[in-house]
Amino acid sequence: MMEQRASKEEIIAAIKEVPLLSPSASQLLQLSASSDHDMSEVVDIVKCDAALTARVLKIVNSVAYGLVHEVTTIERAVGYLGERMVAGIALGDSASALFHKELEGYDGPKSELWNHDLRTAIAAREIAKQSKQPLSPDLAFTAGILHAVGKAILSDFLQHSSNDVLVGIDGHEVTDYLAGERELLGIDHTEAGYELAKSWELPESLQCAIRYHHRPSEAPSEYQHLVYAVHLGCIVAMMCGSQSSDSLQYHLDQNYTNYIDLSSEQLALVMLEVNDTFDTMHNAMTDK
Amino acid sequence: MSNLILGVGEFGASNDQADIVKTFALGSCVAVVLMCPKTRTVGMVHVALPESKINPDKVKTRPGYFADTGIPALLNQMSTMGCDPRGRGFIVKLAGGAKIMDPNNTFNIGKRNALAVKKTLWKYALGPVAEDLGATYSRTVSVSVTTGEITLSSPGRSDWKL
Repeated sequence: MMEQRASKEEIIAAIKEVPLLSPSASQLLQLSASSDHDMSEVVDIVKCDAALTARVLKIVNSVAYGLVHEVTTIERAVGYLGERMVAGIALGDSASALFHKELEGYDGPKSELWNHDLRTAIAAREIAKQSKQPLSPDLAFTAGILHAVGKAILSDFLQHSSNDVLVGIDGHEVTDYLAGERELLGIDHTEAGYELAKSWELPESLQCAIRYHHRPSEAPSEYQHLVYAVHLGCIVAMMCGSQSSDSLQYHLDQNYTNYIDLSSEQLALVMLEVNDTFDTMHNAMTDK
Repeated sequence: MSNLILGVGEFGASNDQADIVKTFALGSCVAVVLMCPKTRTVGMVHVALPESKINPDKVKTRPGYFADTGIPALLNQMSTMGCDPRGRGFIVKLAGGAKIMDPNNTFNIGKRNALAVKKTLWKYALGPVAEDLGATYSRTVSVSVTTGEITLSSPGRSDWKL
């Protein structure tokens, strides 16, 4: 029997203490959720942030991208990296303390959350291309980066609980890891992430992707294609390998076939893309 | 003691008796461990997908990625270390091939990986003497070259032997 370790009110209070995103990260996320924007708007936001400009130029010129000629202008850098990568860099830097902390509550090492989120983002971007309705791959990527941010909050309250939750799942005491989190804390990481997303004033589409990525059928109908893409992206990321105790401890929603057309061969290709692109992006961001 | 760490789609072998051959966080991937008692060599390949026909170009850069090319590549490397090129006398063990909670097995690439690995091994008349496959948890695999002992670990669970 699992005993409650903290109350929902304590978690909500902790969320209110999380620093706001940088203005440039916030603006880039808003932009990525709007359908009518062009690259020059992304460039303008980056140019107004000296630290972000330096970081974007450093990454595009890193060994991982193997460019022959040095990129010296932010226009070329953004054009080469793409909007989603730039938004990911801004977000990763702005909320670095959250994304790169050790996930002690999930027995996960430092940066495990960021690594899982980056894999999910790449997978969601590829899966978005198989959506039965038009869906922006850039938006799916950004939603993937953010989808599990609630775990960074809950981790501090879940220390030494992993084995209890896994025993509870194996013994059918709880149905999945989300239910285990709710037993212990009165809130799960999707709801905690949603509360943080509201506090950060993220666009509604991103709030929904965070809140419903493990129960996509409950998402508002206008966002269901996006949420299913992130749902599947998260699962693909776990299949590709994850070092936290909740890995693979969630259910696949079979209704994804109503929204995403994904054959087993396409699934294999998505996994291939995730592993390849993850290595490139990860090495560039860590300056390897 | 040093570690030979293998990433996704990588393969390698060691006959340094102080070494540990290791791969982290197998989800649906399968670790194929080949042990040659005669030369006291341990090899491992981290297989990510069943068949190379899905992307033949990838085979050139990372043959270990696929079951049908990864096992021959590992056998070839081990043959350069004095082992039998077809793996005669080898001890084979398998781990990984996990899946998400899904009663319909739609996303069960782990099972397809395990089957493809066994199919490739059969071509060499090889088969596993021990395996820890399937289920819904990730596995990190560590093999001691000197003892051949395989330790499996997964976050939130106690370590176990294969």
